[in-house]
Amino acid sequence: MKLNVIDLEKSEYTGGKSSLCPGCGHDQISNVIIQAAWENGIPPEGIAKMSGIGCSSKTPAYFLGKSHGFNTVHGRMPSVTTGASMVNRSLSFLAVSGDGDTASIGIGQFIHAIRRNLDMVYIIENNGVYGLTKGQYSATVERGSKKKKGAMNEQPPIDLCAMAINLGCSFVARSFSGSKKQLTSIIRAAMGHRGMAVIDVISPCVTFSNNDESYKSYNYVKENDEVLHLLDYIPHFTPIEEVDIPEGEFDDIQMFDGSTLRLETVGDEHDPSDPMSALSAIHRAEMDNKHVTGLLYYDNSMQTAEEALGLTETPLSALSEHELRPSADALDDINSRFRGN
Amino acid sequence: MEMHVKMERICNDFTINIATANGTGSQSSNLIILNSMFHMADPVSGKNLFPSNISGLPTWFIIRASDNGYQSPGDKAHIQVLMNKDTWFKDLESLEPGTIVIYNEDAKLPVDRDDCPSFGMPMTKMARGINPKLARLMCNMYYVGALAHLLGIEQNALEMAVRNQFKGKEKAIELNLRAISEGLDYATENWEDEIPYRVESREKDPDSFLIEGNEAIALGSIFGGINMLSWYPITPSSSLAEGIIQWLPELRDADDGGSTCAVIQAEDELAAAGMVIGAGWAGGRGMTCTSGPGISLMSEFIGLAYFAEVPGVIWDVNRVGPSTGLPTRTQQGDLSMLYEASHGDTQHIVLIPGTVDECFEYGWRTFDYAERFQTIVFGFSDLDLGMNRWSTSGFEYPDSPMDRGKVLRSQEEMDAVENYGRYRDVDGDGIPYRTLPGSGLDPILYRGTGHDEDGIYSEDPDVYYATISRLKKKIEGARDLLPAPIIREEEEQQIGVIYYGSMENSITEIDDMLESTGLSVSTCRVRALPYHSEVEAFIERHEKVIVLEINRDGQMYGILRKELPAHLIPRLHSVAYTDGLPPRARVYADMILDTLEVTA
Repeated sequence: MKLNVIDLEKSEYTGGKSSLCPGCGHDQISNVIIQAAWENGIPPEGIAKMSGIGCSSKTPAYFLGKSHGFNTVHGRMPSVTTGASMVNRSLSFLAVSGDGDTASIGIGQFIHAIRRNLDMVYIIENNGVYGLTKGQYSATVERGSKKKKGAMNEQPPIDLCAMAINLGCSFVARSFSGSKKQLTSIIRAAMGHRGMAVIDVISPCVTFSNNDESYKSYNYVKENDEVLHLLDYIPHFTPIEEVDIPEGEFDDIQMFDGSTLRLETVGDEHDPSDPMSALSAIHRAEMDNKHVTGLLYYDNSMQTAEEALGLTETPLSALSEHELRPSADALDDINSRFRGN
Repeated sequence: MEMHVKMERICNDFTINIATANGTGSQSSNLIILNSMFHMADPVSGKNLFPSNISGLPTWFIIRASDNGYQSPGDKAHIQVLMNKDTWFKDLESLEPGTIVIYNEDAKLPVDRDDCPSFGMPMTKMARGINPKLARLMCNMYYVGALAHLLGIEQNALEMAVRNQFKGKEKAIELNLRAISEGLDYATENWEDEIPYRVESREKDPDSFLIEGNEAIALGSIFGGINMLSWYPITPSSSLAEGIIQWLPELRDADDGGSTCAVIQAEDELAAAGMVIGAGWAGGRGMTCTSGPGISLMSEFIGLAYFAEVPGVIWDVNRVGPSTGLPTRTQQGDLSMLYEASHGDTQHIVLIPGTVDECFEYGWRTFDYAERFQTIVFGFSDLDLGMNRWSTSGFEYPDSPMDRGKVLRSQEEMDAVENYGRYRDVDGDGIPYRTLPGSGLDPILYRGTGHDEDGIYSEDPDVYYATISRLKKKIEGARDLLPAPIIREEEEQQIGVIYYGSMENSITEIDDMLESTGLSVSTCRVRALPYHSEVEAFIERHEKVIVLEINRDGQMYGILRKELPAHLIPRLHSVAYTDGLPPRARVYADMILDTLEVTA
């Protein structure tokens, strides 16, 4: 049996049986999460799985069965993650949300978690529809999309990656549930990032929006995927000199944990440190009815929420009563000062 | 009106009403009067009636001196200070004959009340003499001097109060003291008449001081080991959060200089509640503070915490609802909402302090209850208790170590539990054991959906019924572990009055008013929900029980009616009234007398 760097089998990272529709893009993403966590050699108990409500938010039951998780309420996963992250900064937070959960009901919390640069991986499984309530449009669906039954969507879509970049998100990527290699590299790199990593993954809904006209159907995405670069993730425990050097041009990005994300140029070079070029790549693709995928934007210089608050190093949940409750003398002193003595 | 030179003195038994405009710095002047009177004699209380406004709208400050210890605002003003042109005529009109009027002559408005002795002073003009730029603020110090002269407030008490008010700011202390003494001198030189009211020094508790309920809760929660405060600004709870923020650096920095409590100003109350639940889930002590509108927004999360069994503390400093209501006025209108917040069948622990000492105590105790019962615990205060200053002899250090509840932290502890399941009632008290994220011990996916004893998703009818029945049992089990009621019982056991929270500040006077009619009245202050069995026993011992509260519908009355045995329900009679103002004893006493007459 193959073991990872901390001598665990992949089965240590699997979860329960999925109850999603057969062929759902979300299940492919769950498999990639399992693969990424296993390959990165993260102890399962060190991960906290977070989600909101919706098809995507059910998936934490289907991966990382040895990690604690919290399937919270609709659109409010970021705040629960914030509270948990404040009291235990040693946990690696891996969150899964959907386009309804994030772009509609939860857009406020999404925005503010980014503003705080919460240290977490935030995966959006984006299919443009509400699945559990039987196929209503979400806010990420393209203008002009038409369901088998019902009216055409006339409103413009919200691009969550563009929004994240505008908010100063420190790691922004887009991928496709069918692009296993690219998605694995992105999730692995995101796990090694310190700060907010937003990954918008187009994940076709096989039941409600997999018709070929839908921009989020398998066939459409496969044919209209504009890859920014080829991605190769080199973990910190693999000596980089042992990795084959690509033939063409490439760029290496250092992650916080010492890992490297190698960006091999295909077509035009993309500079992920430049938010303007990331935004224009998104807008160009949108105008051409394409999806641009890869690492759109990256900035490793930002303070995380915990760092900005100046918390003590020890996770707050591990502090003793002695460290948490000031002394009786301290209270005597306070009383005395109130008395004006 | 002619004044008699030899008049009967009325010492420490009068009410002053000071009418000013919001944002003119009058709060400093008012607190200096309050604190200097408190320095001379304990029984003095202050009520700030302020508008929802930054600057310009009318505000009143009511100071009551009472050797009887009465702290409600009193039935009427004995002394009226007029500083605000906008309310000048209405304030004057409302005065009873004989009320002393002190007014700013520079308002250039008439005082057409021949039946009220009046004292004018050119306060703005005099303030300009000290500092023209600050005259608008400084003129308020002249009525401090005026009152000091008329009431006989001692110089050392004034100085102490000014120094406390402007701690360390020597220039401000000097300027304000000068203004006060100019006012005092003017009054001494120009006002021949005396007034009957005097502040007289009393033997007093040297340990006592005045403090707002919100600051007391803030300190209590710091001594309770709060790990995370999330909050969204809302009157009247903001000063609670700001109190914590102010005290944390001194009290809660670790050896490495980092803080042991995270403070996050949330994007809204929903997020604040989510952060509390996240903190509790991860094994920390999370808390937020808000008012009624915030609780409405938090309700979905409160249900999640109840059902998924996650500890957390939420303080509600009640203001007047419904909706935005009267945001700067006081009420006990949120009680039933707290008790059953969120959809489906829920029931929450609510601690109800009635004094600043209890604000401090429940500040730390709420965390122990939350972790013991793995649920949301509410603290229920209100604007009157939270934002006005009340007397204490000093806070008492927690008398018990922190209760971190049933948390399994090691494999040995896990092995000691027979047939562990996250939601299995192993001990028979309805409280299951839990493990924390990061521990690697029997992890589950917490959820708001139906779940079985192992935390696995379930829609099974028997499993669901067993779960909600156990939750009921768990909270029921808290009853007699929560603070017992404070009972003052008469031998005759004729009339019982049940009340709670800030009504404590008016109950003595209400009680005296009732007993002056020949009634014998016992009182029972409920301090927590679900209510203690002693509350039921109190009702059992009294023929007639009034449930007294500051809301329209009699919310505690409703809760008691729902939960008491049927034979006790006919004994209960609701007396509930709210108009936004702090409770005036006369209003409630009359309502009680009317109710007793009707039901006689």
